[in-house]
Amino acid sequence: MPTHSVHASLCLPVPDQSQKQSNRMLWAGLAFLLLAILSNVLSFFRLSPALLPWVIFALPILALVFLLIGLVRAFRQPQIHKGKIWGSIVTVLAILLVAASTLFFVGARKLPSSGGAPQVGQHVPDFTLSDSTGQPTTLAQLFSASATAGAPPPKAVLLVFYRGYW
Amino acid sequence: MRPVAISVDAPEVSENLRKKQGYAFTFLSDPQTEAIRRYDLLHKAASPEEHDISRPAEFLVDRSGIVRWENFTEDIRVRPRAQQMLQAAQSLHW
Repeated sequence: MPTHSVHASLCLPVPDQSQKQSNRMLWAGLAFLLLAILSNVLSFFRLSPALLPWVIFALPILALVFLLIGLVRAFRQPQIHKGKIWGSIVTVLAILLVAASTLFFVGARKLPSSGGAPQVGQHVPDFTLSDSTGQPTTLAQLFSASATAGAPPPKAVLLVFYRGYW
Repeated sequence: MRPVAISVDAPEVSENLRKKQGYAFTFLSDPQTEAIRRYDLLHKAASPEEHDISRPAEFLVDRSGIVRWENFTEDIRVRPRAQQMLQAAQSLHW
């Protein structure tokens, strides 16, 4: 990453047409942004373990800092940094990407309200479902025997509904 | 207390997972989302293939079939820890 050029930019060299270069800050910002989105995808589909929680927040912040620096440079020194138009286009693109991915990840996590689910103190509905060996099992049967042979029947059953697709 | 895991996964899929992870608890399979709908936990088109699945939820049920403790997450990445569920079970008078 061209982090060394942060300091260079602060010296504000006299604009010189021959020094025309691309605005690295903007591209670095865009790169961090793509990494940020990638890290969200990885964590969303549980493809990557514990490292991610802080990365998910750090990457978009880094991306925005670089984009902001890049944009400031583009407007202060349009002669060197490919001008205001490119800077603005990249920034708008980046902001659209952030908005789209935020919407996607927030939307994807939205859960139904489950207002009709049994409440504390209410009876749970009965069911008959196959266990993992194909044996039909009712709620009553879950209470009649322990999962491990020989152990006393359970006082309670903890029903854990999960999303599946493991 | 007997933990039971319920999802839309087929019995073979759950059996695979159970063996691979060495879980001793029971897995129940609800591919038609019968129980899931009866418990109002249906999360429409939420699987990777856009099939209906269950939202995550936990119910602690006593022998008379009454809910004594329950938990609904608002974020699928946030689930109760085993410790929490054990504490919930221990704090109740049976």
